[in-house]
Amino acid sequence: MGAFFALGLFQGAVYGLLAVGIVLVYKAKRVFNFAQGEFGGVAAFCAFYLTVSLGLPYWIGVVGGLAAAVAMGLAVERVIVRPLESSSRTIMLVALVGVALFAIAVTVLVARPIPRVMPPIVEGGTVDILGAAILPQQLILLAVLAVLAAAMAWFFRTDLGLAVLASSQDLRAAQVVGIGPTAVSRLVWGMAALLGGVAGLLYAPVGIFTPGFMTFTMLVPAFAAAVLGGMTSLPGAFIGGLAIGVVQNLGIYLLGQQLAVPGAAELSVFALLVLVLLIRPQGLFGKEA
Amino acid sequence: MATATLVLTRVRIRGRIGLVLRVALVLAALALVAYPLLYGGDVWAQRISRAAIYAIIGLSINTLTGHAGQISLGHQAFVGIGAFFAAFTASRLGAPLGFGLAAAALAGTVTALLVGMVALRVTGLYLALVTLAFGLTAETTIFNWREFTGGGAGAFAPRPALVETDFAYAVLCLGVLALVLYADWRLVSTKAGRALAAVRNDEDIAATLGVNVTGYKLGAFCLSGLIAGLAGGLFAYWNQVVQALDFEFQVALVWVLMTVVGGLRSRLGVVIASSFFALLPLTLPNFLSGLPWQPPFLNEAVYHVLPPFIVVVMLLVVLRFFPGGLGQLLAPVTGPATRGSKGARR
Repeated sequence: MGAFFALGLFQGAVYGLLAVGIVLVYKAKRVFNFAQGEFGGVAAFCAFYLTVSLGLPYWIGVVGGLAAAVAMGLAVERVIVRPLESSSRTIMLVALVGVALFAIAVTVLVARPIPRVMPPIVEGGTVDILGAAILPQQLILLAVLAVLAAAMAWFFRTDLGLAVLASSQDLRAAQVVGIGPTAVSRLVWGMAALLGGVAGLLYAPVGIFTPGFMTFTMLVPAFAAAVLGGMTSLPGAFIGGLAIGVVQNLGIYLLGQQLAVPGAAELSVFALLVLVLLIRPQGLFGKEA
Repeated sequence: MATATLVLTRVRIRGRIGLVLRVALVLAALALVAYPLLYGGDVWAQRISRAAIYAIIGLSINTLTGHAGQISLGHQAFVGIGAFFAAFTASRLGAPLGFGLAAAALAGTVTALLVGMVALRVTGLYLALVTLAFGLTAETTIFNWREFTGGGAGAFAPRPALVETDFAYAVLCLGVLALVLYADWRLVSTKAGRALAAVRNDEDIAATLGVNVTGYKLGAFCLSGLIAGLAGGLFAYWNQVVQALDFEFQVALVWVLMTVVGGLRSRLGVVIASSFFALLPLTLPNFLSGLPWQPPFLNEAVYHVLPPFIVVVMLLVVLRFFPGGLGQLLAPVTGPATRGSKGARR
């Protein structure tokens, strides 16, 4: 049980990292970014190509992967998001689902759907926490999540961050005081892609990875984490991510192992998501309406 | 007076042209389906069944998203429940096909009603998220429940003698598709369709107009679930075995994409786009590898992963350039045919 708690905490760190990007886009654009996971997927595949296939140093792989993610973020902003700015949010959501599926289709096409192993940042044995074997990579992941969540919370207090918030609250009024909507949009999507890229690069070495690995299993828990945290709160995304990870793993332990319920991981996340939305739709740290 | 007569005459003429156009369109569509059905053998009969099932699923999503404005990213749950119920009644209870399809439709309705009750509280983007998570849960939990679905081996649904051949089964699927199309047409041209349009546009205004928003929303979910369950039942007997793998996360997303590419609220567009999406993975790889000239860097394996790629490119092109989907592209042709009997369509 303690082992499942610890496993959940570290698994939740990945959800939190994705949730920080989701919250950033939602705060700035009021859009659910279903492509957030694939920023990480693209970054992981590029880093794998550079470091393993070409044998370049690890830091080049990291920089290349992050650059690819940011390039993808800016491309999505230019080609999909900006032209659809005025259409309904549902259409935007479907378009972003399309972007995620497009990225997966491209990775399948280019890289073939075979499992790959990415070398970790720090080699070394596992650490025992509450009886669970935790990789050094996962410790780094949790630390990076804490730093990034704090950095993003700080960002929204800077002039630049306030400009992004102003632009999301009233685009016209923000324009009047000299905040360009295009620059804000580029900044937000570039940053979201960077966060997604970091999540992908840090999570890929934890297990084996295949095309779509950041979307198929990670995206729904990450959204659940963002909703639990209140959708607009960065500390919320951090705590929500860890909480979803813990709930999911306790669900796996109690439902899956004790009662042999299939799909316990998905079931517990779904149950928690519905409960939060029905009982406290503003989440833990969200403001009312 | 003279002007009024003139207008009336014009309307009558246009009505007549519309009727002729409509009959011509229906005949053309029938010919398009009948040719491969009659001369394509079992392979094409199977493909046409698949296309019809996809079209029914597309119309199910169209009912919910197009008419009622509620998004569902978890439609594989409704379709899958229908399929497993049909297979369960067929293989465990030995029930006839009609009973199996009715059970499938009922199962889809009940499931959709449950999700619809959540949708009364949770709207918009959050509903998309809940349905996505629900679809994922249904796929991993319910569809892997060994006693009900047979676990990984799948549940079997043997066809009864009457529709044993692929040809007869294709005719059955087309018949159900025709029924669903008729239901959709009646829905939009009656009070219920106008009420749903009001709910779609603005729930508060609809409520002040005396529209029972809760009832119509739940009704739309139930109808969509019924149609989806029916499609699932047809799928079960079509494939004759149902597995959890048939109702993956990606499948549900592709269904939403095909409905949007077809154009929400455009019956013809949805049917064409759904059929296209159903047939593309079956026909494209064979077609491309049968071409006399093969590009050096492409091969059969690449052709098999091309369809999802094409599908998504189509979606992005449609959203970017024709937000109304195929329906918008077809409007110059279908416009004169449907004008005058538009009902609640916008």
